[in-house]
Amino acid sequence: MQRQTLVEFSVKHPRLVLVIAAALTAAALALFPGMKADTNPKNMLPPDSAVRVWNAEVDGTFGLYEDMLVVGVVNEAGVVNPGTLARIARITEAAARIKGVARSDVAGFTTITNVTASAGTLRVAPLMGRPPETPEELEAFRKDLFGNPLYAGRVISRDGKTTAIYIPLEKGANGKAVADELRGIVRAEGGPEEYYVAGDPVARDTFGSIMFKLMAKFSPIAGAIMFVAVLVMFRSLVLACSMMAVAMISVVWSMGLLIGLGYPVHIMSSMAPVFLMAIATDSIHIFNEFSFRRKEAPDRRTAIIETMHAVARPVKFTALATAAGFGVLVFMSIIPVKVFGVTIAFGTVALRLLSFSFIPAVLMLTRDKKAGPEADAPGRGPGAFLRSLSAIGALRPRATVAAVIVLMAVSAIGVTRIVVNNNMVEWFKKDSDVRRSDAAINSALGGTSLAYIVASSDKEEYMKTPEAMRYIEGLQRRLETLEAVGKTNSVVDYVKRINLVLHDNDPHFDAVPGSKEEIGQYLFLFGMSAKPSDLDNVIDPSFTKANVWVQLKTWDVRAMREVMKTTEVYMAANPGAIVLKPAGTAYFNLVWNDEVLWDMLKGFIIALVAVFVILTFNFRSIGWAALGYAPLLFTILLIYGAVGYAGKDFDMPISVLSCLSLGMAVDFSIHYIARFKERLASMEGGGDVVAALLWTAERPGRGIARNAILFGAAFSVMLFAPLTPYVTVGAFIVAMMTLSALFTMVLLPALIVLFGKRLVKGNIRLS
Amino acid sequence: MKKYLFICLSALLVAASARAAAPEEIMRSSQAAFLYQGKDFKARVVMRLTGKTGAERIRELTMLRKNSGAPGGDQKYFIYFYKPADVKDMTFMVYKYPKKDDDRWLFIPALNMVRRIAAQDKASSFVGSDFTYEDVSGRDIDDDAHVLVKEERLGSSDCYVVKSAPKEGGMDYAYKLSWIDKGNYLPLKEEYYDGRSGLYKVFSADEIKTISGIPTVTRRAMKNLSSGHKTEAEFTRVEYNTGIEDSLFSERFLKQPPKKRIE
Repeated sequence: MQRQTLVEFSVKHPRLVLVIAAALTAAALALFPGMKADTNPKNMLPPDSAVRVWNAEVDGTFGLYEDMLVVGVVNEAGVVNPGTLARIARITEAAARIKGVARSDVAGFTTITNVTASAGTLRVAPLMGRPPETPEELEAFRKDLFGNPLYAGRVISRDGKTTAIYIPLEKGANGKAVADELRGIVRAEGGPEEYYVAGDPVARDTFGSIMFKLMAKFSPIAGAIMFVAVLVMFRSLVLACSMMAVAMISVVWSMGLLIGLGYPVHIMSSMAPVFLMAIATDSIHIFNEFSFRRKEAPDRRTAIIETMHAVARPVKFTALATAAGFGVLVFMSIIPVKVFGVTIAFGTVALRLLSFSFIPAVLMLTRDKKAGPEADAPGRGPGAFLRSLSAIGALRPRATVAAVIVLMAVSAIGVTRIVVNNNMVEWFKKDSDVRRSDAAINSALGGTSLAYIVASSDKEEYMKTPEAMRYIEGLQRRLETLEAVGKTNSVVDYVKRINLVLHDNDPHFDAVPGSKEEIGQYLFLFGMSAKPSDLDNVIDPSFTKANVWVQLKTWDVRAMREVMKTTEVYMAANPGAIVLKPAGTAYFNLVWNDEVLWDMLKGFIIALVAVFVILTFNFRSIGWAALGYAPLLFTILLIYGAVGYAGKDFDMPISVLSCLSLGMAVDFSIHYIARFKERLASMEGGGDVVAALLWTAERPGRGIARNAILFGAAFSVMLFAPLTPYVTVGAFIVAMMTLSALFTMVLLPALIVLFGKRLVKGNIRLS
Repeated sequence: MKKYLFICLSALLVAASARAAAPEEIMRSSQAAFLYQGKDFKARVVMRLTGKTGAERIRELTMLRKNSGAPGGDQKYFIYFYKPADVKDMTFMVYKYPKKDDDRWLFIPALNMVRRIAAQDKASSFVGSDFTYEDVSGRDIDDDAHVLVKEERLGSSDCYVVKSAPKEGGMDYAYKLSWIDKGNYLPLKEEYYDGRSGLYKVFSADEIKTISGIPTVTRRAMKNLSSGHKTEAEFTRVEYNTGIEDSLFSERFLKQPPKKRIE
């Protein structure tokens, strides 16, 4: 009854309501300048999460950098020529001077350490001190480059056409900004070479930055589409304006609250406006009903009160279901997800509040008498079409249910084919710069995705022993058998190299030396002459820990999982004094993906339960709740079945969506069942179920259809986004809205006819 | 007229004092006082290399040096390692030529083998520490352009502050500021600057003792501010002019150094 009073108040003082809404909106807008943006997807996990703490510890132990860019240089005629080499030297030097680059650890031809021996002289020096010019110098360089197995796959491809410069970033540097500068540097060089800039930070920071821009672009476009759609449906500028106003007000309030509470706008919450705008389309049910009532009621005021009375319950409960679907995100462990959930839940509640105050107020102030379309001629127009949809289910209930059961069985098979995987680079489209660069470098070199396997022992100086060295070497060979692993690197490679070189390149000595003294002296000799980071990166000062670099040719989380499994199997098969643990960016991505994914799955299950509980409350009947649940469940099953058949990975964006979709996909059946029951109860002399169903399909069903079209239209913009997760979101929501509307209109009547007898109290007829 | 005379006179005075303290001469004297003292030199050196995580590596060695001629000229170095333990008996020899690349040899005890090591950049790390070969044995004065920036007190010493900028590129630093004690010409502090991040490396002479009448820096440190890495070196058992023979600096003695020389 409280809501009703709110409606009455709003009808009585429409101007006051608008002024209050405007004032609150202005207040929320005033908070906007304090907005902080956080475009880094990494921050989905807080800096004190176990994986980030461990990675930071590993970075500290081995003097590593969290992030690394890779510049690929390709010359189809081979990179060993004076022009290309000179350009590489200049690019490496310029790259080292970019702000945010860890300049002493940039690795390319001019900086990577080479160990060689000739005429009894040992040389530890950068591979290319000065770009070679004469044919003799070029020949000598070629010999050095291809003569050292450490370089194959790392800085030179086997065909000699591709080289890479590895550019580590200092903490807090923006990968996209550095990548942009690098692109500028290589562009200025010109020449016949092709250049590619890749690496996790490029993908991550580019994604974050594009995401924000997209949201700024899509929200208004989605709004405009909705505006035009409402205008076409109701031919009323006032209705279209008030619908948009409600959506905008709720967006401003929610974002204002988020900003006001001091949370940064994260990539996740940047999606909130589009979601809220779509959820706002639920007010269409009010306009829809009003367009009928206005013609039936004696005056505007009565029409409004009656409309609100008719739709109050379903509108309230759909809002509740939506709010609950998002609200459960509060129980997630990932903070940006929580913030996002609360923002949307708050916005949804705000929307409903506006539905009962702002909308009646606007309707009251509308002078235009004709706030709705003309009624359709009987048997024609959309009403008749909707009626025929429900007629399928109502008149052939068994056949309808059987068809749906077959469809669901097929979908269930599809669901079993779903592969859980995530690949951030594949969030970009195939022809995007990010994706092309990554593919080019990965096909020629060891890989742009970097993981570490940290070997540790509690025995002092154990890593200097031949058995530790052989253990690590064995692990490397094992890992290299994996298809995704392009290159591994460790302290063992340096030791073997020095052993070989000190023995005049006698291949017999291309092996781990036999004594700890030899190894210790080789390492010392290497440490005396090489860059300090060369050794630091692969072994710690106390020689209790060693670090194996594993380059992966793909950003697939699956690939890293394989590396970890192989490592565990190796450890189990070779028990010893060494414990192996994964680390690095590829490992972070795996944990990040798993945490978000499982968190979302958990949220999905909680939301399923929450929505069911709300339905039960709404209908005060478990049976009705189960019926109302059916369209939702089948919609989701069908979509996942399609995902399985399409071979699309079940990745992070999809897992986020499944959770979010629940609260929205159930809306239609709430409206349908509520209005159906009302209609049935109001029919004199006991209701005729089929007649009531057909009425429901024609009248509130029209609201459902309008809602689905609006919602779908708003999200369809995303199908044109340059990032695949957005395309996924768009396709998912459009499919969800269409399917749940269809299931509601066709399946629900069939179920009601079959099971309704048991649920509807009193005298009913089936005609 | 009087005023004019005064200006002329003071200009002359300034010019005279500037010549007395010509920055090249200051640096030359400093190098002689710091790296060329005595005819020969011997010390036990303990180096503590500390990473940014606080992990420590120790180098302990005996360092012998013999000058061939006047300060600024050729030198020979002989280094015997005690620590780390697995490199005990390793020896390292450097013939240092200011005007050209050094000659270096290393004895690897595990292989009982002496290897010549190709000289690289003189600015590269000395045995993995934050000191470079130049920090240990000096840089040719003519390679830099020197400017006397100011004179100021540092602690209890009056110092010249000289700015030295490498004439050729390719160095890690753009310029270096040295605080040279006006009394004994030892460098008390050096600051290294680069174009991008400004000050990034600092040298300090932390203890000075007079040994056999020669002021000697017995504790020194080099801190790399950008990497958080630092090296502290302590010189003990310092002796001058013990008559180190030229024959010591040979492959034969690299393999079997005479005990009295390395202890």
